[in-house]
Amino acid sequence: MALRTVLLTVANLLIPVAILIFATGFFPYKPFMPGLAEYEKLGWEQAMGWKEESVPEAPFDKLVFMVVDALRSDFVFGEDSGMSFVQSLIREGTALPFTAHAASPTITMPKVKAMTTGSIPSFLDVILNFAESDTTSTLSTQDTWLAQLRAKQGGKLVMYGDDTWLKLFPGFFERADGTSSFFVSDFTEVDNNVTRHVPEELLNSDWNAMIMHYLGLDHIGHKAGPKSPNMLPKQKEMDGIVRDIYSAIENEDHLSKTLFVLCGDHGMNEGGNHGGSAAGETSPALVFMSPKLKDISQHMEKVSPTKPKDKGGEFEYYRMVEQSDIAPTLAGLLGFPVPRNNLGVFIKEFLSFWPHAADRIRLLLRNARQMKMIVEATYPNLSFEDESKAAGNECEPPLSDGQDLACKWHGVVDTMSTTSRHLTAEHRIDQLFWFLTAAQEKMSSTASNYDVPRLIIGTVLTFVSVLVTLFTLPSLRRITPPGVAYTLTIILYSVLMFASSYVEEEHNFWYWATSGWFFCLFISKSRKEWQSKFVFHPAIMLLVTHRIIRRWNQTGQKYAGADDIVHSGIFHGNTSFILWALVGATYMDITIRISRHVARSILVFDKGSSSEDSQAVDANRFMGVIAVLPLGATAFVFKLAFTARDAPELTYGINQGLIQWVEDLSLVDVARMVFAGTALSAVWITISEWKRNRDRRGEGSGDLAIALFDLLSLFLITQTKAQNIPLYLLFRFQFFFLSLLDLTPAAITTTTLLLIQTSFFALGNSNAISSIDLSNAYNGVSGYNVIAVGLLLFLSNWAGPIYFTAASSLLLSSPGRPRRNIAMNEVDSRDWVQKEREHLERMAKSEEEGRKRRESSEVWGRHVGLMTLWVGVATGSVMVACTVLRTHLFIWTVFSPKYLYAMAWGIAFHFGGTLGLGSLVWRAGRW
Amino acid sequence: MATVISSQTKPRPPAHPIDILNSDTARLYTHIHPILVLSIYAFQFPSIVADPVPALIKTLIPLAALQIAYVAICLPPTGGTATPVIDKKKPGEKKKVEGSLAKTIVPAFLSLITATILSTPLLTATLVLFGAPLTTHHAHTLLAGAHISFLSTLPLVYVHGVDGATWREIIALLRPVDEVYGGMIGTVVGAWLGAIPIPLDWDREWQKWPVTIVSGAYVGWAVGKLLGGLVFKGKKIMFE
Repeated sequence: MALRTVLLTVANLLIPVAILIFATGFFPYKPFMPGLAEYEKLGWEQAMGWKEESVPEAPFDKLVFMVVDALRSDFVFGEDSGMSFVQSLIREGTALPFTAHAASPTITMPKVKAMTTGSIPSFLDVILNFAESDTTSTLSTQDTWLAQLRAKQGGKLVMYGDDTWLKLFPGFFERADGTSSFFVSDFTEVDNNVTRHVPEELLNSDWNAMIMHYLGLDHIGHKAGPKSPNMLPKQKEMDGIVRDIYSAIENEDHLSKTLFVLCGDHGMNEGGNHGGSAAGETSPALVFMSPKLKDISQHMEKVSPTKPKDKGGEFEYYRMVEQSDIAPTLAGLLGFPVPRNNLGVFIKEFLSFWPHAADRIRLLLRNARQMKMIVEATYPNLSFEDESKAAGNECEPPLSDGQDLACKWHGVVDTMSTTSRHLTAEHRIDQLFWFLTAAQEKMSSTASNYDVPRLIIGTVLTFVSVLVTLFTLPSLRRITPPGVAYTLTIILYSVLMFASSYVEEEHNFWYWATSGWFFCLFISKSRKEWQSKFVFHPAIMLLVTHRIIRRWNQTGQKYAGADDIVHSGIFHGNTSFILWALVGATYMDITIRISRHVARSILVFDKGSSSEDSQAVDANRFMGVIAVLPLGATAFVFKLAFTARDAPELTYGINQGLIQWVEDLSLVDVARMVFAGTALSAVWITISEWKRNRDRRGEGSGDLAIALFDLLSLFLITQTKAQNIPLYLLFRFQFFFLSLLDLTPAAITTTTLLLIQTSFFALGNSNAISSIDLSNAYNGVSGYNVIAVGLLLFLSNWAGPIYFTAASSLLLSSPGRPRRNIAMNEVDSRDWVQKEREHLERMAKSEEEGRKRRESSEVWGRHVGLMTLWVGVATGSVMVACTVLRTHLFIWTVFSPKYLYAMAWGIAFHFGGTLGLGSLVWRAGRW
Repeated sequence: MATVISSQTKPRPPAHPIDILNSDTARLYTHIHPILVLSIYAFQFPSIVADPVPALIKTLIPLAALQIAYVAICLPPTGGTATPVIDKKKPGEKKKVEGSLAKTIVPAFLSLITATILSTPLLTATLVLFGAPLTTHHAHTLLAGAHISFLSTLPLVYVHGVDGATWREIIALLRPVDEVYGGMIGTVVGAWLGAIPIPLDWDREWQKWPVTIVSGAYVGWAVGKLLGGLVFKGKKIMFE
């Protein structure tokens, strides 16, 4: 027994170690080159006839950088676009349109990094995006075009819009007004906050870069998708702002040399979300505008509106460039050195600004030299010297990535050094682009950066943990349905982790397996006892409830945005009272449950130890309700107030006076009241149960566990979106039906495993970053507190699994059933009583079993062992999949996010949920 | 956990596995039958993929015909056993064949009606419970239910009738395995497993509802029938 505990502890400790080692190998921290870039020595002065330090003259000296969050390419270029002014500029030739490919993860912070540094942000930035205050993620020490523009003489920056920029560039801006994107229901205020500064700033002449970041369009997308009726008016609004700024550039003298860039940081998918790698998410628009562009656009495509290209997907309009190309292009156009960590390539359409070929070559050569430094740092063993190597053997295939780049660089060196008159400037330019695009491609794909030994160590450690766990489990001599179901589930899961589409559609697997398991429970129970109304058999009811739960939220990639119960319209607009009736019922149910616990506690203090088996009387019940009602009501009001601001379309059917009243409440204060009230009740009930337990010798009934579970439910629904709260009513039904089924411990473990996963996906989660719900992460938090926000974020996204973890501890210890003493010999043995007699016998037997289970830690140990085995196998299979498929096309879009989720499951959920909370409720159940 | 069947009010005779009829035709046809059924399904498969509803209706008719032929030729009708008919008649009697066929063809059609009216809606409801679309694809799901019902339930009704107690045993997997019972279990398991390929991103036409489910049911039925009739015949399914 003791050995088993030790082994289980070792297995559990190995898991986080393995996960972290693997993570450091899988998401290597990319070293960046510190300091600002300066114009460096070009070389080949004599051959090319340029002076050493000279710089080609820049056509622009000011920049207006307008980011419209989630501005997908078709919102600007498509036939249904509302941005007719931009389109007219494209036709005129004063605007150059592109589709800027935004690499996954398509979230604002990494994308702003990509646009400003020219680098490709790593997946580490995703984690840092949620821990925004982390100082290592700011760009204040990195080389960006903002830093370069600021370093110029008289350089001043102004910024209006999304406060991500203020967090990334602390102290950079002369004037700034940040807006936070807290409530996505805000379509207008966030944008008006930006627009109101524009006219004034257009009159100021002291800045050389103005950055604007509009959030409204993204909010509309999140709320109602790209086809929302609000989308077109918003595009027209943005178009109007572009018109204002552009006409100011045309008319104001001090703005005459201003480059105006309009771009999206990322796009959106059909569901209006982003974060992943669907074509819609990775295809934002990019437009350069200035009257001066007319000089260079004579020979360019000027059709607008237009259709996406035939070859490249649905959203590829005009030429596709990389988002990182923005940084070197701005460097050339505004005349500053290319930022150090840039992996972008100067956009070749703009070369026409410089009539002399030597200037064009100079620009590209600077870009190439800067990029060569990164290549050199990546492949320290290869030679990237400026000496021409005539017919070196390095260009002979097969070439490694680094050798290929070295070969291409030497091609550049060769063409630059040759003085032959046959070699035209075009030749040199082509050679430079050849090197640049190859370097961009190779350096952007991080395949070469994996630390494979660490990946293997991490994977091996996980499998050691799995083996150690296997030793702690009792030998599998008897083949039981729960055992078979458990084994098949984890084996099939490990196989499916290698299929990218099943990672995206993982919910389907769990829904499918859960249905099968419930049906199996039905058969298994029917073998013992046939219920004449089999339609109402608890297992069938579980199946029915499960069927409703799985349709509640559509999740996954394949059918993103398809209809589900939440979006079917029955909860929206005037019928939203249906939703609130269900939400109210959920709150009512929990409140009444808690009130019973409080009533019992009052009784304990009232009578002291006089009553052994204390059953609350009516007066106490009434007192309990009186005591708990304020808590329940506050929690409900908080949800209503929060929803009125976060999702007003869900509260239209509610009395407007009530809505106005709740809108005036301070959300932070109300949330704190709810949390404090819950904590206070927990403490109070714990003390009273402790007292009751102390007074009553012998075993307890486990009422404390139920009380904690009910208080936990209240906390979890506070951390859940209003439209998902009715799910907890359904979860409650499932819990009830499960307790009717009298499952064996092994069956409970299998059920727990399935329901934990099912509830996770049913609440709308998936394995994509885009499905992380931030809205409840700030409840009761004012200001920014990483720990509190991180904890609330985890709790709000994993609320369903946490609920079922606690529920499984309750099912295992089956507390709350008073001991029944039935004298079997006194029970009538006549035929018609026979059934009742058996019923009583069975009840007494199951109670006895429950009591035994509670007393021995064996049952709990086995449950923990099986859950640890599951986490080990699941994490291990994800690790193997990530290692084996590390060169797979979808590694950054499907498998990396899955690994992030596996980390959260394996560390946060396993330790906080299964081991922490689960044990707590289990222990409380023995009181 | 101990099994508590003893509490049943009236004791039931121990259940026997179904033997196929003791004739050469029966012994031969029972093996030809799955080949025929699967061939027809395979032949119709392209049109089922192209347009499920009409093709599934079209395939339902030969399936029903073949199943009726199968039960009439190979299986003893309700209450009968595999051998009695021939033993009781005197040898050389001419009407033997027609008489036995008449005795089997009527219950076969009755089973078809039962499978259509009773079992198809029940199985369709089960499909919905397992995740079939509720608001769309009604005809698709109903036809999938009909195919599963014709494959699994029709022979079972023919051999066991509609006796409630027997059906309880059937659902609770308490009957000894035979080829009819094995076919039913195989159909249900096959249909369930048929859902696995649907979410894959292969973008094939056959991944659409309900092609994989019906295909899984057919394959599962053939496998179950074969295993039930040959390998596991007479065994009882042990649960715990």
